[in-house]
Amino acid sequence: MHREAAAVSERPEARAARAVLSVENLVVGYPVAGRMVKPVDGLSFRVHEREVVGLIGDAGSGKSTAALALLGLARAPGKILGGRVDFEGRDLLKLPDAEIRAIRGRDIGIIVQNPRSSLNPMLRVGKQIGYAYQAHNEANAATARRKAVEMLRMVGINDPESRAEAYAHELSGGMAQRALIAMALSSRPKLLIADEPTSGLDVTIQAQFLDEMWNTVQRTGSAILLITQELGTLANYCDRVLVLHEGRIVEDAPVKQFFADPQHPYSQQILKLQRERGTSLGLPPIYTGTKPLLATRDLRKTFAVRHTKKLIQAVDKVSLQIGRGETLGLVGESGSGKTTVGRCLLRLLEPSAGSVVFDGADLVKLPPTDMRRYRSKLQIVFQDPFDSLNPRWTIRQILTEPLDLHTELSTSEKRRRAEELIDLVDLDRTLLERKPRGLGAGALQRINIARALACNPEFIVLDEPTSVLSPRARVGLIELLVRLQKELGISYLFISHDLTTVRYLCHKVSVMYLGQIVETGTVEQVFSRPRHPYSQALLSAHLFPDPSNRRVDQSIPAALEGEIPSPIDLPHGCYLASRCPHVVDECRATPQRLEPVGEGQEVRCWRAAKGDIQAFGGVHG
Amino acid sequence: MSRPHTLDTADLLPRRRRDWLFALGVTIVSTVVVLAIVGPYVGPYDPTMTTPNVSMPPPSLSEIPGLFGAWVSGSLEAPPHWMGTDASGFDVFSRVIAAPRTDLVIALVANGLSLLVGVFLGLIAGYYRNAATELMMRVSDVMQSFPVFISAMVLVALAGRSTTNIVIALAFVYTPIYVRLTRAEVMSQKVRGFVEAARALGNTELSIAIRHVLPNSLTPALIQASVTIGFAILLTAGLSFVGAGVRPPTPEWGLMISTGANQIILGEWWPSVFPGIAISLTVFGFAVLGNALERRYDAS
Amino acid sequence: MLFRYIAKRFAVGLLQLIGLTIAVFFLIRLLPADPVSRLVGMNASPEAYAQAAKQLGVDRPLLAQLATYLGFQPDIAPGLLQGSLGVSWVTGSTITSEIATYLPVTIELVTLSFILALAVAVPIGMFGALNPGGKADKGVFVYSLFAGSQPEFWWGLLFVYLFFFTLGIAPAPLGRLSPMSSPPDAVTGFMTIDALIAGQLDIFVEALHHLMLPVITMAFILSGPIIKMVRQNMARALQSDFVLYANCAGLPKERVARYALRAAMAPSMTLIGILYGFMLSGAVLTESVFALGGIGQYSISAVLAYDYPAIQAVVLVITAISLVVYLALDLIHAAIDPRIAF
Repeated sequence: MHREAAAVSERPEARAARAVLSVENLVVGYPVAGRMVKPVDGLSFRVHEREVVGLIGDAGSGKSTAALALLGLARAPGKILGGRVDFEGRDLLKLPDAEIRAIRGRDIGIIVQNPRSSLNPMLRVGKQIGYAYQAHNEANAATARRKAVEMLRMVGINDPESRAEAYAHELSGGMAQRALIAMALSSRPKLLIADEPTSGLDVTIQAQFLDEMWNTVQRTGSAILLITQELGTLANYCDRVLVLHEGRIVEDAPVKQFFADPQHPYSQQILKLQRERGTSLGLPPIYTGTKPLLATRDLRKTFAVRHTKKLIQAVDKVSLQIGRGETLGLVGESGSGKTTVGRCLLRLLEPSAGSVVFDGADLVKLPPTDMRRYRSKLQIVFQDPFDSLNPRWTIRQILTEPLDLHTELSTSEKRRRAEELIDLVDLDRTLLERKPRGLGAGALQRINIARALACNPEFIVLDEPTSVLSPRARVGLIELLVRLQKELGISYLFISHDLTTVRYLCHKVSVMYLGQIVETGTVEQVFSRPRHPYSQALLSAHLFPDPSNRRVDQSIPAALEGEIPSPIDLPHGCYLASRCPHVVDECRATPQRLEPVGEGQEVRCWRAAKGDIQAFGGVHG
Repeated sequence: MSRPHTLDTADLLPRRRRDWLFALGVTIVSTVVVLAIVGPYVGPYDPTMTTPNVSMPPPSLSEIPGLFGAWVSGSLEAPPHWMGTDASGFDVFSRVIAAPRTDLVIALVANGLSLLVGVFLGLIAGYYRNAATELMMRVSDVMQSFPVFISAMVLVALAGRSTTNIVIALAFVYTPIYVRLTRAEVMSQKVRGFVEAARALGNTELSIAIRHVLPNSLTPALIQASVTIGFAILLTAGLSFVGAGVRPPTPEWGLMISTGANQIILGEWWPSVFPGIAISLTVFGFAVLGNALERRYDAS
Repeated sequence: MLFRYIAKRFAVGLLQLIGLTIAVFFLIRLLPADPVSRLVGMNASPEAYAQAAKQLGVDRPLLAQLATYLGFQPDIAPGLLQGSLGVSWVTGSTITSEIATYLPVTIELVTLSFILALAVAVPIGMFGALNPGGKADKGVFVYSLFAGSQPEFWWGLLFVYLFFFTLGIAPAPLGRLSPMSSPPDAVTGFMTIDALIAGQLDIFVEALHHLMLPVITMAFILSGPIIKMVRQNMARALQSDFVLYANCAGLPKERVARYALRAAMAPSMTLIGILYGFMLSGAVLTESVFALGGIGQYSISAVLAYDYPAIQAVVLVITAISLVVYLALDLIHAAIDPRIAF
């Protein structure tokens, strides 16, 4: 697939391009306990014709609030307090209701973060798109329906006729988001505002979606304001970058300049890891000793589907090894089984088969009381920092709970240990007397880590710990984890779908697909020379924050078709056979095994092991 | 991502001047509680003894200040009947302020009982899902589909009209509600992250159930309790009204309204109206309180 | 799919009713009351007592009595399986005929009250939600809390005092018609409908006139929870993501309002069903105040007279009706909201 060439801002005619949208001093506030809190406080920027502008900033509320305010809307109890939003010469904030309704949807379209909850759950999707179309164009019901189907086809939905009859809850996340785009673009708006449109979507689906959005917009000639927390999205799709901090724009630069030479301290913070590590892949290898700290052999986990006799093979013969002080990354998309593996290692889920040998003992065979004692040595940090902490307990109680369970320390010793722990994660001691409510995601995640460290564990499973954090908090957390590993010698299993963070944190990495490990090796090996077709697709779909290598400027090789199949009824042969561009009959017939391809790298693909498939599509150093 | 639903004691204090409604609810409820304690003793007359003045109307509004002054200065032989007397000669005022004890005690004990049993059963039913708990839920469903008023009436009338029986009848009627509420909350709290984290730390299941799940599952039941106490008062009054509640001459608002009902057609409004105002305000107070708690819970 | 769901609900409901019947059967017999002495009096001779006991069938073992009641011994007496609810121990007539007389009164009362309550409460609740935080909304809210916590028997009396005694615009609370009028032939049992069927418009108007105060009383109480629920659901719908998005897409105001309204009504259905079932039982109090002679009053007299078969029958019938109403409303809910799947 070929795409439009160079960034808009580099084209000579761009200098003279008109501003489609011009925002001046926008202020939005909402009352909290008598005061007025202003997530948007003096926002000013412009968007030009056919430009793709990225907006990056901290935790959600400021950016989404700003996006809605551009349309003159504010979520209750918020209010737009001042400023000017100039669209084609008119101030949107001063227009009467009927006029601004005409502009919304017709001239400015918007897609938002939670596509399924933004669709009316009680109407069929096609009908809703039809209504949106009828709101701005003369059309009867039949025409509207035809238009809806046409739009669904344009945004890349297969079989749009029947999809139009579906209800919102019947669509997957990716589909629902595409339905929203269909609605937003149905009247060919001049500006599309996309508010974190890919949060929650799988890596390959993200790439598919953003590609399609980009293509569609090229056809309709719209400009895009793309709001995101991902540096990768910015680097690959945007012409210009705006940084939102404390309610206003603190940096406004063309994309290459932003990544190469950020001016504002906040931008520098976000880009810190990027700039420090540059293009290095993974951490330098360390000596881990001859015996691994933790090793699993042929780990399997099967789930029964309720009310049927079917089984889901969530984890299929997974064997891993992690040495002391080492970090193994486990990457994959939804259905890969990576989360299940993490839980099985700790027996939070009981493995159906296989062994988990930790420091010589097979954990799977231990009776519950013995297993409980081992829990001081193996810990886990979960994805959702809010949900993992008991909202009624103080931080101190949360941190001393493991001490109560595994040690015989006196009360004063426990107090001191809690203080040590909170110092260790760079948080203020005053937090100890507070409850989790009101603290930010980054701080809460640090508390989760502190709790995991309480009894000096040797191994910690990190289950997507940074995926809900803002860019700045993410940087902080990764630095903390690296530092703790160096100081305390803890081994990590780092489960993630975000290859960028894996790159910063891990020594080795294993790629999983539908319950199997399909490739394993050092980060350098797998990221720069991926051998398995799935790894290749994953890596090429992943948006690395490198603006000199924009996705939209290249032709993408070997993309995978379709969506990830259901883990029930897995095929006999290779699981990727239905989507792989290199498939031949033998692939479907024989179950694939992991085979070494030199220097510790292993691949589950007979063709790759034979050398039939070129190693490419990775990150170029 | 889910935000935790909690209600701390810090939330219970009224915030901002605009929360006058909450303050009103607290005032009403505290007044009723105080009356429940001292009511029967502070009235001018014994609430269970008749006076020779039968069907005496209350003093008119213009008379009250003068009467009050005369009473305070001690120049009257007998205290005035502020709310008049009923057809049997009971002083309405003394009975109105003595009644909270009956109604509130019944409501509190019945609710306390059903709360205890309901939460306990709800915790078990929410935590373990097997044939036994399913059966328990079916039984609870059947109990809940009993027509409320009629079942209470049947229980009390056939077991004998005593306070204890009324308490048991009410507890029977209200327990399924708490079981259902607690069970639903336990089922949703059981899958929260901190429960899994507690397991990962090495807690036993019992310890998790008691230290983590239970305290976080109580809020809906407690909020419901404050409203149900009000309804229990209404139910007691209703039962007494139809003759299946407390026995005369126990002072009870519903009973007073019932005995006064015959007089209404004759124009003697006071034996029924005053106790009615009392119930009306009391249950309203509890409803307001319950609603304020509910709003705080939703907001957090 | 749908048919299976309805069939399943019916089956479960039937089981519940059976369980209920057996439970009630034993429960009331476990209580210390003695219906026999209630019937023959405290000073009856032992022979008269034994005779009465035999007549009522209470001298037989409990399980045998249950078996007969359920209809397993049709030669002794017809039971539930034969469609018989038994014979009243007090009046001697079949309970089925008695209930057929009294039940429609209550249903007429409750249904009319619901119609009035919905007609008034739904618009008020919506009005409150559309003007959040305003003075009117606050007033609406306080009113809903107040109305829902009131004793209906007292308000009935108040209304009698006000509208009958003071203002004279309502009739005396002496029943469904004034003692001097003769009722139309009972076809459905609903006074209003029967009067219409018989073409007696004057009786129709009089019946409505007599129903005026009781219906207003019950509608007043019902308006509380209905307003609270409509307001809450509407407010929630108006703040939902999809309403916000509909505004973002530039849909006209009327369309957005309809989106919100449909989303608000769906969850309300279940509550309305529960309220209806609750009111069927709670109508007792209003019926007593206005002497309407509905099933509530029937149950009061049955309870006070220890008429066990009548008590059982009342509980059974009211529960059965409640279950049917719940099912009907759940179906309406599912019709409105496609997320509910069977």
